[in-house]
Amino acid sequence: MAVELEDKLAILAEGAKYDVSCASSGSVRRNRDGIGNAASCGICHSWTSDGRCVSLLKILMTNSCIYDCAYCVNRRSHDVQRVMLTPAEVAELTIGFYRRNYIEGLFLSTGVVRSPDYTMELLIEAVRSLRQEHRFNGYIHLKLVPGADPLLVQEAGLLADRVSINLELPTREGLTLLAPDKSRDAVIGPMRQVNSLIVVNRAERQASRKVPRFAPAGQSTQLIVGATNESDHQIVTLSEQLYRRLDLKRVYYSAFIPVMADTRLPATPVSPLRREHRLYQADWLLRYYGFQAHELLDAGTPNLDTDLDPKTGWALRHLALFPVEVNRAEYEVLLRVPGIGVRSAQRIVRARRQGHLGIDDLALLGVVMKRARYFVTARGRYAGEGALDSRMLRSRLVDTTAPQKTKQMALPLFQPLPSDVALSTVTGEL
Amino acid sequence: MGGVYRYDGSGTGLLTLLSRLVADRILPEAIWVEPPPQLGLFAEVTDIPTDLHQAELFWGELSRRLSPATLNLVRHGLLAVYPEHELMICRYLLLAWQVGRSVGGMLTHPQVAPLWKLAQQVGREAHRYKGFVRFQEMAGGYYFAAIAPEHRILPLIAPHFAAHFRDQHWVIHDEKHGEGVVHDRQRREWLLLPMERHVEPDVTSAEERFQALWRNYFAALAIAERENLRLQQSKVPLKVRPWLVEFG
Repeated sequence: MAVELEDKLAILAEGAKYDVSCASSGSVRRNRDGIGNAASCGICHSWTSDGRCVSLLKILMTNSCIYDCAYCVNRRSHDVQRVMLTPAEVAELTIGFYRRNYIEGLFLSTGVVRSPDYTMELLIEAVRSLRQEHRFNGYIHLKLVPGADPLLVQEAGLLADRVSINLELPTREGLTLLAPDKSRDAVIGPMRQVNSLIVVNRAERQASRKVPRFAPAGQSTQLIVGATNESDHQIVTLSEQLYRRLDLKRVYYSAFIPVMADTRLPATPVSPLRREHRLYQADWLLRYYGFQAHELLDAGTPNLDTDLDPKTGWALRHLALFPVEVNRAEYEVLLRVPGIGVRSAQRIVRARRQGHLGIDDLALLGVVMKRARYFVTARGRYAGEGALDSRMLRSRLVDTTAPQKTKQMALPLFQPLPSDVALSTVTGEL
Repeated sequence: MGGVYRYDGSGTGLLTLLSRLVADRILPEAIWVEPPPQLGLFAEVTDIPTDLHQAELFWGELSRRLSPATLNLVRHGLLAVYPEHELMICRYLLLAWQVGRSVGGMLTHPQVAPLWKLAQQVGREAHRYKGFVRFQEMAGGYYFAAIAPEHRILPLIAPHFAAHFRDQHWVIHDEKHGEGVVHDRQRREWLLLPMERHVEPDVTSAEERFQALWRNYFAALAIAERENLRLQQSKVPLKVRPWLVEFG
């Protein structure tokens, strides 16, 4: 049965879109004689109607799969049309889109057909054809198939800019419950291998620049949030370990969206988007702001506050450290002030060499005074009103970005009937 | 001090004017482009004719006096399309001549902050357009893209595309400011030229196929359960959508 390329593309995009990895950054690949290069800063080319950016052609080689993971659209028992791209088709689409500047590169993932090794070889073949026959130097993110031969993993890393294996479920128990065919070790094993290959490659390249780069943009992974009942504390601690021990470049979090019914899955009608957002904020605090997981969460407070960003939450628990004087505080201290980010902290350090900064100068430097005013002084002046009091501050700083629908005061006559109430809990409005 | 000056609106013209102003430490009341918006009754207007040689000399002097970062700030300012951006640059340069390289750290100084903010806007727009340019394959064997940015960002994005597509003949046309960049794959260089488009040139049949594939793919990619049109619109403003294949 011949399926048109157009239909295949739609089916395989459908199967790949729940993988949230989107980065096209962090690599170096010069364009010598072919097409494309990988810039060190990522470039987004478009944004879909869910507000997620498009920078790579994100697609599956095939959506056939021998596994039956409960959370996955491509599971064996799901009744969907199965199609497969040839390596030539992958190359044609990638080059065609790239030349028109629709994309910054390719993200190639796949369902597992026949065996992990066979599948991995398929992916490698497609990428090899792009790199060698088409002289494509753009960004390639390649998925590793859990359980594939270490030699194939090595080959993949030499062709791709970034490689990844998705951990998907943060705990061992979750994996056993929802992905009975995969073992945690089959996932962690290749991640360890990739890490040691990167370390070895770095050392070899120090000795000789002629050694080809192995996965210059490192490796990443993805965790599904809300499919099993782990706490934010477990997730953030896991991420911290992945960053520290396996030197991962990124951990992505994907709010669980029930794409299919399964008795093992939670029956949540609303996917935990707010929780996902808070986890990303915590993740940034780990990577760029010098925070440690245990500072953000512990056994006593296992979950992030949905109403406050994690840094503000931390600051409210440590009010004794505030306010800090922006003209004297160390860079690391500035980073911990709510409303001051990496860039504004750098600018403060740069600007204060030329003279003392006043409160009004901070906004010019990009500091979000709505939050920062309660936590800083400038030339000894404090811009927040009243004394530092945790409860008062909390009520002022609660995130108002998600506008709460104002309820209309209604006479009893106009109040909704019971059937309407049932309907409105589904749509989330009254 | 004071006075009203007029130049021809080109980058070269502005550099010529600035070289005169900075040399004589003059901060004008206003800088106009011909034709003047409204001639004040008592205003004495000094016309500064564009002088390529003088402009080049002045740019060389800027490169020596300013650090690479602050030179970039001035460059972004020169490419900005914004009311009174000429005066912002002038104030900045007068300060730079006064205090030297430490001007780089004076981010909150009133003679620095406005230009710095404007330069950031220009830089951000240039970065966004590295993603928003959409090439079409033309029957003449080259790739063509049209854009309409706020600022004259072509010189900022051309090196990126020259490295990206060095084996392609390509043209990017800035319809808003009537200029374009032409890249020649044999000579491997790009040129900024005044450009007008009169006729719609023919695209290849492969072009129509890839546009259809891309639209189809783009539609399949959105996750309905996460729909967030407000976020999408803040990232892809309506004003850029007419030039994007996937929103066509």
